[in-house]
Amino acid sequence: MRFKRSMLGIPYVIFLIIFVMAPLAVVFVYTFTNGSGQFTLENFLGFFKSSRTIATLVYSLFVALVTTVFCLLIAYPTAYALARSGFKKKNILLLLAVIPMWINFTLRVTALKEVLDLVEGNLAYYPFFNTIIGQIYDFLPFMILPIFNVFDEMDKSLLEAGRDLGADRKSLFLSVILPLSMPGIASGITMVFLPAMTNYVVLDMLYNSTYIMGSLIGSYFNAYDWHNGSMVSTILLLIIILFSLIGKNKTQNA
Amino acid sequence: MKKVAILLTFVMLFLCGCGGKASGTTPVTDDVVTLRIANSEEYIDEGGWDASETITLSDGQKIRGVDPLVNDFEKWYQEKYGKKVRVLYSTYGTNEDLYNQMTLGNSFDLVCPSEYMIMKLIRENKLEPLSKDFYNKESAYNYYAKGVSPYIFKRMKGLKEGGKPLTDYAAGYMWGTLGTVYNPSKVDKKDASSFRIYLNKKYYKRLTIKDSVRDTYFAGLAIAKEKELAKNGADISKILNDTSQKTVNQVEDVITDMRENAYSMETDSAKQDLVTRKADASLQWSGDGVFSINQAEKDGLRLCYAVPEEGSNLWFDGWVMLSDGVKDDKDKKQAAEAFINYISRPESAIRNMYYIGYTSAITGGDDPMVEEYVNYVYGSEEKNAVDYDLSYLFGKKCVIKADPDQLDRQLFAQYPTEDILKRCAVMKCFSNQANRRVSQMWTNVRCYRFPWEKRR
Repeated sequence: MRFKRSMLGIPYVIFLIIFVMAPLAVVFVYTFTNGSGQFTLENFLGFFKSSRTIATLVYSLFVALVTTVFCLLIAYPTAYALARSGFKKKNILLLLAVIPMWINFTLRVTALKEVLDLVEGNLAYYPFFNTIIGQIYDFLPFMILPIFNVFDEMDKSLLEAGRDLGADRKSLFLSVILPLSMPGIASGITMVFLPAMTNYVVLDMLYNSTYIMGSLIGSYFNAYDWHNGSMVSTILLLIIILFSLIGKNKTQNA
Repeated sequence: MKKVAILLTFVMLFLCGCGGKASGTTPVTDDVVTLRIANSEEYIDEGGWDASETITLSDGQKIRGVDPLVNDFEKWYQEKYGKKVRVLYSTYGTNEDLYNQMTLGNSFDLVCPSEYMIMKLIRENKLEPLSKDFYNKESAYNYYAKGVSPYIFKRMKGLKEGGKPLTDYAAGYMWGTLGTVYNPSKVDKKDASSFRIYLNKKYYKRLTIKDSVRDTYFAGLAIAKEKELAKNGADISKILNDTSQKTVNQVEDVITDMRENAYSMETDSAKQDLVTRKADASLQWSGDGVFSINQAEKDGLRLCYAVPEEGSNLWFDGWVMLSDGVKDDKDKKQAAEAFINYISRPESAIRNMYYIGYTSAITGGDDPMVEEYVNYVYGSEEKNAVDYDLSYLFGKKCVIKADPDQLDRQLFAQYPTEDILKRCAVMKCFSNQANRRVSQMWTNVRCYRFPWEKRR
C-alpha cells in the first residue's frame, strides 16, 4: 500500500467518528423518540409551544447578542491598535491581550465575582449586568485574535491606494478597512456568539439563577429526561449550523 | 473505497480493543473478591489525620484515622474472614449522577444513595435484599445490627416501597435535617425558625437557597402548606409529600418569590458566602451546617442553626447492594455486608463523623463509645451546663451536659432533639408523573419571563 498524504488524517477521522459522530447520532435518536422508543416530533413541538422555553431561547440569544456587540466594540479598536504598533511592541502587546486565556476561566470568574461584589455592594442586585461583564471577560480574547490577524495581514498598499485616490478617513474606513476585516469579524462572532449562548457556568458562578440554553439541557438531564435534553441540544446545533452558514456567506462576499 | 476500508478496519480494531477491556474487569483470580463501592464525594474517612487530631475518650481510648477507612477494611476482612478483598472505590456528585452512571452501564456492588433514591431503586428491582443473618445480633461481626440507633432504624422501617420496608435493603449511614444556618447578629432566631424567612423582605438578597429541585420544593411546600401543618394532629408526612398538580402550582408561586428574594441558588458556595458575610442565612443540610459553623468559628464569626418549626425534612443515606453486582456471587455479598458492618463499628462511625461532620446512624448499642464521643466533642463541665437528652436516639439513657450556647449550634445541628424530629418528615421518591410535574415547575421557575408576562 502506497502512502498517501490523506492518510495522515486517519487518526482524526477515527476520533471524529467515535467521539463526535457517534454521540451526535445518539443525540438525534433521543431527540426524535419518546420514552418508549417510538418516533415522535412531540419534543420539538413542545419546545416551541411552551412560552417558558421560548423565553429561554430569546434570553440566551439576547445575552449572546449583547456579549458579542460589546466584545466587538472593545476588540475592534484594540486589534487595530495592536496590529498598527511597531513590530516588537506588537508581539508583546498581543501577548498581554492573550495572557488572560492562560488562566483557567473559573478562576478568573471567581476573581471577577469578588471585584463585582466590592463595587456593587451586593452581587445579586444586578444579575444581567454581571453576566454580561463575565461573558465579555471570558470571550474577549476570542474576538481580538481573529480581527488582529486580518489587520496584521492587511495589505498596506490598499490603504495607500485609497488615500491616493482621495478617500477621507471616514470613507477609507467604510470602503476599505471594514470590508477587508469582515472575515475576522465573522469568525470572531462565531467564536463568541455561539459559546455565549450556552456558557451557563458564568451565570451560575455570578449567581444569575435564570436559565439559558445550556442550563436547560443540564436540568433536563438531571431529571432523567434524555429526550428533551437531546432536543434542546439539537436546536442549539441547528442554530450553530445556521450561523456558520451565514458567517460563511459573509466571509465569501467580503 | 480502499480508504474507507482501511478506516473501517481501524475503527473495528479500536472498538474491539475497547470491548476487550470492558469485559476484562471481572475478577481475574478466584481467591480475591473485588468489591466495587460508590459513595458521595468526601463521605468517608480518608485518613491522614495529624497526631494532634487524635480523639481521646474518657476511658483513655484513642481514635485517629491514619489510613483510609477503606484500606483498614481490607486488612480487617482478611484478618477476620481469611479472605482477600480488593475495594474499587469511586465517588459521584449527586444521587442523580449515581443513577445516570448506572444507566450508562457502570456497575457497582455497594452504593450509598439517599432514601428517595433507594426507594426508586427498589421500585426498579435493582437492589439485592440484605441477608437474614445481617440483623442477627448474636453474630460477632454484625456491628450494624448491634449499633444502629433504634430511632433511626424505626424511621427507616416506617418507609415502605412496594410493601417492603427500606430496612430490608438498606443499612443507614448518615442522617440529618434540613434547616437554616444563620448569622445571629443579623437574623432573629425566631425568623430563622421558619421557612418563611426565605420570603422575608427584611433579608432581601441576603439569603441563599439550594439549586436542587427536591430541597427547594420541600421548603416551598412547607410554606405553601403552613396552615395545614399548624393544625393539631396534622399528618406531616402526608402534607410534606404532596405533589398534586394544584399543590405544585402553589409551590411554583412560592419558589418564584423565594428566587426573587434570594442572594443565590447554590450548590456549594453558601458556606463561603456566610463566612464572608455576603449572606445572612442559608438553607443547608445539618451536616453542612456543622461544617459552616465550625469554619466560621475559625474566622471569628458566630453562626447558628435552626430547624424550621412548621415541619422540616428528615433525610438519611444508606448502603444498598445492587443485584446487578452481587446477586449470584455469595463471596461478594458477604464482603459487601462485612463492609457495612466494618464501617458501622463505633470506632469507624466516630472517625467518619469527625471527618465529614455529619451524624452517623450508629449510636453503638451497648458499646458506650459513641456516647463518649458526643461528650468529648460537646460535653461541658461549666456551672451553666444544661442537660441535653438524646435517650430517644441512643435507645438507652443518654443525657449530655452541654454548654447552653450549643443548643442553637453544632450540637443541635448534629443531634436534634426528639420534638424537632417529630415535626420532620422524610420526602419520599416521587412517582414518574409527579417527577415530571415537579421538574416542569422547576423549569418554569428558572426560565426567563418576559417583562410583560404575568405570573401564572
